[in-house]
Amino acid sequence: MRVRLPIVTGLLALLPLALVAPVEGQTTPVEGLRSQAPGVHAFTGARVVTEPGTVLDNATLVIRDGVIEAVGADVSVPADARVHEMDGRTIYPGFIDAYSYAGMPEEPGDEMDRGPDYWNPQARSFVQAAGILVEDSGQGAGLREAGFAVAHLVPRLGMFRGSTAVASLSDAPPRDRIISDGVAHGFRMTRDTELGFGYPTSAMGGMAFLRQTLLDAQWYQEAQEVYRESPQGMRRPETDRSLESLGPVVAGQVPAFFRTTSEEELLRAARIAAEFDLPAWYRGSGTEYRMLEEVAALGAPVVLPVSFPSAPNLSDPAATLGVSLGQLRHWYLAPENPGRLANAGVTVALTAQGLNDPSTFPEQVRVAVDRGLDPTTALAAVTTTPAEMLGIGATHGTLAAGKVANLVVADGDLFTENARIHDVWVDGVRHEIHRPASVDPRGRWTMTSASPAFTGDLVLQGQPGRLSGSFERTAESTSLSNVSLAQESRRLGFHLPGDVVGMEGTVRLTATVAGETIHGWGELPDGSRASFQAQRVEGPSAGSGPDSRGVPASLDLRDIRPSQDHGREGLPEQPSVVLVRNATLWTMGPDGLIEGGDLLVREGRIEAVGQNLDAPSDAVIVDADGAHVTPGLIDAHLHSGISGGVNETGNAIVPEVWIGDVLTMNNTWMYRQLAGGLTTAHVMHGSANPIGGQNAFVKMRWGASTDEIVFEDAPRTVKFALGENVTRNTNRYPNTRQGVKEIIRDNFRAAREYEAEWARWEESGDGIPPRRDLRMEALVDILNEDISIQSHSYRQDEIFTLMHLAEEFDTRIKAFHHGVEAFKVAPELAAHGAGAVIWSDWSGFKVESYDATTYNARILMDAGVVTSLHSDNSQIASRMNWEAAKMLRTGLTEEEALSLVTSNTAVLLGIDDRVGSLEPGKDADFVIWTDHPLSMAAGARQTWIDGRKYFDLEDEQQDREATEQERARLIQFILDNG
Amino acid sequence: MLTRNGARTVRGWMASLATAGALGLALLAPTPADAQVPAPDQERPIAIEGATIHTVSGQVIENGTVVFEDGRITAVGTNVQVPEGAERIDASGKYLFPGLIHSSTQVGLFEIGGINVTIDTNELGTFSPNILAETAINPESRHIGVARSAGITTAVPTMSGGLISGQLAAVSLDGWNWEEMTVRRGVAMLVNWPGPQNQNAYNQSIRALRDFVADARAYARAMDAYEEGASSPPATDSRLESMRAVLAGEQRVMVDANDLRQIQDAITWAEEEGLRIIIRGGRDAEYLADELVARDIPVILTGILSGPARQWEPYEQAYHRPVRLHEAGVTFSVGGESAAAYANRLPWHAGAPVAFGLPADVALRSVTLDAARILGIDDRVGAIEEGLDANILLTTGNPLEYGTQIEQIWIEGRTIDMMDHHRHFFEKYSEKVRQKHGGPAR
Repeated sequence: MRVRLPIVTGLLALLPLALVAPVEGQTTPVEGLRSQAPGVHAFTGARVVTEPGTVLDNATLVIRDGVIEAVGADVSVPADARVHEMDGRTIYPGFIDAYSYAGMPEEPGDEMDRGPDYWNPQARSFVQAAGILVEDSGQGAGLREAGFAVAHLVPRLGMFRGSTAVASLSDAPPRDRIISDGVAHGFRMTRDTELGFGYPTSAMGGMAFLRQTLLDAQWYQEAQEVYRESPQGMRRPETDRSLESLGPVVAGQVPAFFRTTSEEELLRAARIAAEFDLPAWYRGSGTEYRMLEEVAALGAPVVLPVSFPSAPNLSDPAATLGVSLGQLRHWYLAPENPGRLANAGVTVALTAQGLNDPSTFPEQVRVAVDRGLDPTTALAAVTTTPAEMLGIGATHGTLAAGKVANLVVADGDLFTENARIHDVWVDGVRHEIHRPASVDPRGRWTMTSASPAFTGDLVLQGQPGRLSGSFERTAESTSLSNVSLAQESRRLGFHLPGDVVGMEGTVRLTATVAGETIHGWGELPDGSRASFQAQRVEGPSAGSGPDSRGVPASLDLRDIRPSQDHGREGLPEQPSVVLVRNATLWTMGPDGLIEGGDLLVREGRIEAVGQNLDAPSDAVIVDADGAHVTPGLIDAHLHSGISGGVNETGNAIVPEVWIGDVLTMNNTWMYRQLAGGLTTAHVMHGSANPIGGQNAFVKMRWGASTDEIVFEDAPRTVKFALGENVTRNTNRYPNTRQGVKEIIRDNFRAAREYEAEWARWEESGDGIPPRRDLRMEALVDILNEDISIQSHSYRQDEIFTLMHLAEEFDTRIKAFHHGVEAFKVAPELAAHGAGAVIWSDWSGFKVESYDATTYNARILMDAGVVTSLHSDNSQIASRMNWEAAKMLRTGLTEEEALSLVTSNTAVLLGIDDRVGSLEPGKDADFVIWTDHPLSMAAGARQTWIDGRKYFDLEDEQQDREATEQERARLIQFILDNG
Repeated sequence: MLTRNGARTVRGWMASLATAGALGLALLAPTPADAQVPAPDQERPIAIEGATIHTVSGQVIENGTVVFEDGRITAVGTNVQVPEGAERIDASGKYLFPGLIHSSTQVGLFEIGGINVTIDTNELGTFSPNILAETAINPESRHIGVARSAGITTAVPTMSGGLISGQLAAVSLDGWNWEEMTVRRGVAMLVNWPGPQNQNAYNQSIRALRDFVADARAYARAMDAYEEGASSPPATDSRLESMRAVLAGEQRVMVDANDLRQIQDAITWAEEEGLRIIIRGGRDAEYLADELVARDIPVILTGILSGPARQWEPYEQAYHRPVRLHEAGVTFSVGGESAAAYANRLPWHAGAPVAFGLPADVALRSVTLDAARILGIDDRVGAIEEGLDANILLTTGNPLEYGTQIEQIWIEGRTIDMMDHHRHFFEKYSEKVRQKHGGPAR
């Protein structure tokens, strides 16, 4: 910006003075003569929409010096007013954009490396929108074209972006534009790369960073206060202008305004707001319709974009095979987003932000109105709603005496007709947006010339500004060329071929349009000149311009969740009682394998397993007809269904981040995994860090919401990682396996010291309280085994070393994952009590995976190590029975093989009280197979979770037909309308 | 939870050991033997008696006998004269299958991912028809023995990269050097069809391929003229020289193509150039099944055990692909995945479609006889049939089935060492478990 400003200023200096003459300020001394054009205007004969839902026909509106003086049908025109006859034009209150970057710098300035700042550049809470507002950015003018007179300015940069301001979109200097300062605080959920590429690199890191910084802000206020009271003998707490500025935010005095990029991110923002009890506003993404109820339940205002996606290019069928139903549905449904939210009771404001061309805002709003947004609500969404939200309702948002003279003058109803904005008045100053034509020469004219003598018809058509025409005589018609019309001078020009006057060449004409006559002269090909006149005999033909509105709402799409391929209409029902009969029942519990077995389920839990169980009268009977029934399969290590990055790479130690913060329901793999008999997955952080993030558990409840897929009350686990993945980044400690051990050890020691520091303070209560450190809190929980360690590993030495280290801190490693060389330390693992969670057969993809053997599980189990398989791969997770089956060739029994993806897996993850076997009291998660589950011929016939049948092979055909048909309908619809 | 602690019966495994004992193989050596030692040539006739024989090319023979001598099968049936001095193996209750053929794998040419110098699959340049894939096979590669233990006796080690990647050979997975291993050189010239994502680059690549073939034709004509004494010798060109067998119609062209447009355009190209092609990859082959059948173009399907290529496709799309090709009458082989370390997964790739409707015998044929036919090596391998190489698996069941133990393998009559590196680690570290006595201490 330092470079840019002088250039802009220099440029402006060259412009005619009138355009940049300052509006008379309140403190600015006058140079030269004062400009005092009267500021009194009366608009008569207008259709005045004083506020959403209230329309005065043929009314008069009077403004005086930037303020509305009167509005009504019986208002008399003041004697000193300039009169504007409106001829039935519509006047709206000036629009308010509740989320704008107009005049907000795109790059950080000098403040980046000056002053007492927070350690992380993503926190810029000290920034004030009013303070960084760029004068003459030109962006306000763009918004004015769309009818906006006021904008809520949000600083663009960072996750804590600073305080916002409401400003007028006049051309005045900032001091005359600011309406309200410190209105809200801007938040964003992920890092801004303009500010660097450090922590947090992921969406989950973003969540942790938001939490820690808010905690720091709370601590900061307290620490400063304690220190101020009696500074002697105390260590001075740091000075930090971001934490200082966050004071009113954490105190709940200023709303947190979250900019979000998906419906799930919006709900994540809401989680942060709830945890810290922050009043919140949201800038939505346009996908909120996908979680309508959840968003509506927040009861918070949502500012929505009207930048709807364009239709995919479908001309080549081969190239567009890859277009998904999800894409097509979103193309179709996005314009319904504002309407659906408003109709669900959400307080909706609309923003032009996100549009490539803000002036298209009114037509985009009409698209939303066409698709279900009530036009009155639409007007409210740019007037009264933002005015109330931003606290400027007393002066803005409606047309009433005493309010600021912000007006939109249009030639019709902007929300239901293809109307145009003529003028936008801001603070009583007129900005002409679209000047209606002063002259309109369209129509048929009889044209005569005395010498050379000729008559004929001049026909002018097209749009003013893009006129075309012809010269017609008896039966012949000749096109005009170079037709031009200058509105200011009323001058019309055109060319005619010379043959109309019997010459070779071109006749050039210039003429004045004066009402119903044209008079002018032309130069003939021979250089002579001739004058002509014309009289209008026919006006322009009626017919409005093309309707630019969107596609009609004529498709009845299914109401499915997720709103994409294979999404389902509602969750499967949960019968009160289910009895699965006559199954080959692999209980994987003490009852072993029961031939001809029955499985009784009540309210989603297993009540009994056995033979010939009595069927309660209300039981839904499922006849397995001898089919194999196993517990639902469990994947101990999966990375699918995670939003915004699997790794937080911004630091080597990140146990404060949590996969559970960023789970997504919009994950087609879940449908595929469910169809393969998977019912539970341990969704893990990646392997970029010696101490990675905390993991999450999901159940494959395809069709449920983001919150509902979570495995309830699951234990806490954390990802550690050893070896090549964490040492290969040469720019970060550690670079060796020894260093991995040292950094983990150092953090373990720090955590013990942190724990002790808190214990001391809680006992004494003296002085500044210790700062809450989420990283250290997680480490304390890890050491105390409230969070189990699930460590990525390959080589035997690193496995051995981590067990040693854990024992030094009197803790233990719950399981080593991957463990390509775990078989080499099987007895040591057994002695430590660690389990192994391994691949069936991965090998040879890097050096540390070279000493692989498919006998890994066999050796481990021989040594008494509790062993499980994992997929570490979304596709493999959809066929874990076959992963288990591979182990048969190493000599495991069938039950041992299946235990690797059921009962043993549950034990190692600490969820064996709920899942992993078919035993009374456990969740009714089971699979009915088409064949022996360890055979190549086996697929899932039915997959049940919580006593609900989530997958049924028999319904599958319907799903694929519904998916393909809806996709085909949408494609045809786009080809017809797009 | 299930751990072993020696208490359980190990059904398949113990049975396997029993057989091994009967065969006189040293599987329970007190110290681990070296892994993957190539086998000596067959010295005397071997007769395997009493087995259920899946010949693949003919009927299933119950309680039959297979005899092989000097590496070739000499008799198959129920009424077979066992030659004098033959080694007789009682295989009653067991099964015999032809060895499996992996028609698309980097085995032998690829050792460790991420360490490029252990990978010889990608020569520099757009056109490398002179590259002979087999000439860099490392017989000591661990992955060879591991693949073999899965029942794979023949493989086509594959190259990649450029537009023409090189010539592929069919090799046996046993031998002291690549020459001994090679069953047939030049079974196919590999064309790596360009990707259609960028239309300009795609068109340019196709033009380059057409131009190269035109140059090769001109070169062949000049060489023919010289060889017929009609002209002076032209300067030699290693690349163009290597195209002569393809242009003479003697060598097949294997085209890597997955996307519908790639397959469609490759068919057009081959037809214009008069080439015999095999489509490899074939993800979208089902869309062009009629065209493939009409032109008798076979497909080597890879990536069966993978997810659908497109969001809207049903979950089992990839598993189901062979079923649709089979129903449409397309000749296909299942090629598994190319990674050398995962050559041993071939049976799982071939078997998965069975769960979704592919007849089990078609699945088996896709990695035996049909693969041999597509590669033009069915005069050597692919079935248990008189005159073919004695590439035989002695098993407890279908070799594509997970629970089946492959107890013994013969390649060209040689009795194969079943000690691969996976098994080697098992032996060695089972010894550690025995020494440390395992028990949990905490």
